[in-house]
Amino acid sequence: MQEQAASRVLVCIQCGKCTGGCPESGRTPFNIRMLMRKRQFKYAIEEALPWYCTACNTCTLRCPRDVKPSEVVIEIRSSMVENGDIPVTIQKALESTFVQKNPWGKPRSKRGDWAEKLDFKVPHISETEHKRLLFSCCIHAYDPRCMVIPVNVATILNKAGYEFGILGEEECCCGNEIRRIGELGLFEELMEENKANFEEYGVKEIIALSPHCMNTMKNEYGDMGIKVMHYTEVLSNLIKEGALKTERPLKGGIIYHDPCFLGKQNKVFVEPRDILKSLNNVEVREFARSRETSLCCEGGGGRMFFDVEVPYQRNGEIRVADAQKAGADTIATACPFCLMNLEDPAKEKGLFVKDISEILMEVI
Amino acid sequence: MDIIVLTKRVPVTQEEELKIAPDGTSVDLSRVPFRMNDWDNYAVEEAVRLCEKQGGVITGVSIGDMESDEVLRRAIAMGAKDGCLIESQGVVNDPFTRALLLKGFIEKENLSFNMIFGGVQAEDDQFGVTCGILAAMLGLPFASMVIGIDEIQNDAIILRRELEGGIQERIKIKMPCVLSIQSGINEPRYVSIMGIRKASKVERKYFKADKYLDGGAGSLIDVIRWFYPPKKEGAVILQGELEDTCKQLLGILKEKGVLQ
Amino acid sequence: MSYTLIISEVRRGVFEERNLDSLGLAHMLKKPVYMLLPDGQYPVNERWSDVLIKTDIKEELFTAPKNICLLLDKVIERFSMPDVIILTHSSSGTECASYIAGYFKLPVITDVNGMDKDAKTFYKSYYSDKVYGEFAVPGQGPVVITVRSGAFRGSIEERTHASKEETIVGVFLDSDRAFIEFVEEEKTEIDITKAEFLVSVGRGVGNKDELPAYDELTGVLNATLSCSRPVVDKLWLPKARQVGQSGKTVRPKVYLAMGISGAFQHIAGMKDSECIIAVNKDPEAPIFQYAHYGIVGDMNKVRDKLKELLKG
Ligand SMILES: Cc1cc2nc3c(=O)[nH]c(=O)nc-3n(C[C@H](O)[C@H](O)[C@H](O)COP(=O)(O)OP(=O)(O)OC[C@H]3O[C@@H](n4cnc5c(N)ncnc54)[C@H](O)[C@@H]3O)c2cc1C
Ligand code: SF4
Ligand code: SF4
Repeated sequence: MQEQAASRVLVCIQCGKCTGGCPESGRTPFNIRMLMRKRQFKYAIEEALPWYCTACNTCTLRCPRDVKPSEVVIEIRSSMVENGDIPVTIQKALESTFVQKNPWGKPRSKRGDWAEKLDFKVPHISETEHKRLLFSCCIHAYDPRCMVIPVNVATILNKAGYEFGILGEEECCCGNEIRRIGELGLFEELMEENKANFEEYGVKEIIALSPHCMNTMKNEYGDMGIKVMHYTEVLSNLIKEGALKTERPLKGGIIYHDPCFLGKQNKVFVEPRDILKSLNNVEVREFARSRETSLCCEGGGGRMFFDVEVPYQRNGEIRVADAQKAGADTIATACPFCLMNLEDPAKEKGLFVKDISEILMEVI
Repeated sequence: MDIIVLTKRVPVTQEEELKIAPDGTSVDLSRVPFRMNDWDNYAVEEAVRLCEKQGGVITGVSIGDMESDEVLRRAIAMGAKDGCLIESQGVVNDPFTRALLLKGFIEKENLSFNMIFGGVQAEDDQFGVTCGILAAMLGLPFASMVIGIDEIQNDAIILRRELEGGIQERIKIKMPCVLSIQSGINEPRYVSIMGIRKASKVERKYFKADKYLDGGAGSLIDVIRWFYPPKKEGAVILQGELEDTCKQLLGILKEKGVLQ
Repeated sequence: MSYTLIISEVRRGVFEERNLDSLGLAHMLKKPVYMLLPDGQYPVNERWSDVLIKTDIKEELFTAPKNICLLLDKVIERFSMPDVIILTHSSSGTECASYIAGYFKLPVITDVNGMDKDAKTFYKSYYSDKVYGEFAVPGQGPVVITVRSGAFRGSIEERTHASKEETIVGVFLDSDRAFIEFVEEEKTEIDITKAEFLVSVGRGVGNKDELPAYDELTGVLNATLSCSRPVVDKLWLPKARQVGQSGKTVRPKVYLAMGISGAFQHIAGMKDSECIIAVNKDPEAPIFQYAHYGIVGDMNKVRDKLKELLKG
């Protein structure tokens, strides 16, 4: 793997297409083209640098030489992980994930607690007929702000008469961020544990609530013979089939922010928009930078746990300003990390940031 | 510089709601994860840093059931040469017994060392005395709350102990000695899963605890019951006009010892 | 003879307030109280103990574990073995307690915060204070105890008579451990993780111009200023002051959160503080779920009132 990476770096022609699309390069000390250069010549790399990357994948999608710069970043981080020398906040997240199977070090026994907020009982996956698993992200399970999302989606699915089950406290971190932080051994452990559960309970479909979980289970868990989807794909289908009706009208202008792991990395552009368009009375606006060129919220690649030393204008602020310019008062998104990163600057400007499931709950 | 580092596997309870059995005789830890005691992590790191500079070998020692092998693997992954597990039946609640076991083990197995390190206290029982009892029983000089090692001389070491209120005391202590290491003395390295897997290939040594007690004292203290501390339900909201609430606030600051 | 021995703690000439908890517990034990002091004059109430044992050992040497054992040898020789030996639960108190236990082969219980009414068993916290254990000492005493600060000072009862004074001199001290000096922790940069008392401000502060007054407040309170992320994002305070998931994890004795809502990412960095006090104008703010004490009100007004009270 190391050798592969080295040879990939060698074909880099320093064209700078990666830097051009990178949400971090140019605004922070980080520059992905220069990082590839340093790697080519085996120059020393300043220790904080590799941690700026948000793993949005834009560079890899744009690179004409298939260098996969974002993967090279993972390899650089991985050697830092093996040397044991990484930023403390990242270290804490990894150690917590090792012990509690979530980066916040919250008790595993409480992972399924969100389901207690429902007025019906969600069965354990083993008790379901169709073996459709609703898989929540660690942040859904523990951050009170995000906990509404699994509650909402479960309520909506239930309303549409769509059968599903959960793993409860057996669920563990999907490892998407862990892999991107470069802790490949831990990623493997998490993957094996989840896969063992999927196999034991004969899971046939996974409805992932976070694009990050969806991404890794779909693209990095190997062929499990399981259909992995994002919840917006399922819900948009249910709306199309008429199983789910959006009734009450909504006011105002909604703008949709494409999460990197849902949009550019997995090409789910249409379904979230279809859901929003199905709402009565709603005008769905678009960012100038949307779809493949959507501006990253800076929540991926371990950035939920790492802040750069010198503060700069966060992408979230830019995004909120752009939304305001586009005349929207609500930013809709479908990823918990985007939600968290956009909501803070939005609060300052008096805008709302909502997960699509939150918007749906208002209209059904 | 040969260093023995005492390490303990402890339950991670900070975020858990612990359940006590109705008869009060046990605390249910069956669903709680375990890991190396945080203070011991600093102790291992400090030992590794010293030996990286001075040469010498580190031996991790742990008392517990076979599961405690986990903390020895971690110590090895951090840089210890080997690990010894003193396998005990059940939990040893009394730190005196723990120290007695360690003394017996170190003497009977002829472990050579210049220093013995341990953490200041264990996260679970928060006793903070095992190292001190061990030192006294071995007749060795002892320092606790070690927050900095300034200099290693031929037969002595100059170090700083943490006292209260941002003050430290610098002392000189003869070797061999026993030190209990305070958290914050260093930044322990990250130990990766691959690192632990590699460490698993280093053989650990297993010993049976009953060999080392010499039929001597069992426990000098017994836990007779566990109970819940008075429960707090959300914040106590200070009532009254601005002046009253502020006065109450200052009173709390005084009571907590942060305001004179 | 049956008595309780207190090994008092003196630091840089100051008779530590923690000793009051040792005295409180000793009084609850209802036995004659002997209190051991290092060389020097201290403002000790003469009705606190029955016997004051003075020594000619300097404070720095008095608190060294081996020395205290050598001194105890003499105390025991003169007065017999005490039933209970009480120390403070502090850096040196616990250090000495452990060594005494090993040296004299005595049972030891640290951080004691309660006792049953018959004075037969002692309570001590376990698992970060989630559970208390009740400990019995099956053999015939003596037992070595360190007491939690604040736990027993309310139980002090003055004696009817002034204490007798005894003196022990000529203890042959240990040469294996030597005191060199006291050092103040180097404070090159502000390190909020080392502070015992943090005043932390959040977005509720409103605007940058309000901040200098918080600097003044922390000055008079002898506290350190920290903050939530939005305050850093606006460049009102440097990154090194940020508490939380992507900032620093702190566990001060007191965390005074002003105008901070209590977002998950912030709580992650301060939830283990010993005492959390929240000031927020919104009574529903999540921070109150984590706080021990709360004030519902305007943080800037609270700030000004505190300054006024402290100056007056
Ligand atoms: C990846 C990521 C990492 C993060 N890391 C951190 C981190 O490390 N640390 C951190 O702090 N945050 C972090 N956050 C941000 C976090 O989610 C919250 O947005 C932030 O903590 C909110 O800060 P606040 O409480 O100061 O502001 P707000 O949530 O806006 O709260 C302000 C509070 O002040 C009160 N208030 C307003 N005016 C007054 C007044 N005059 N008097 C009294 N009260 C008043 C309000 O009632 C409100 O409760 C992170 C977010 C993300 C997405
Ligand atoms: S886009 Fe590819 S080839 Fe161009 S500089 Fe970046 S890594 Fe090199
Ligand atoms: S993955 Fe995104 S943030 Fe990372 S280097 Fe590539 S473009 Fe930049």
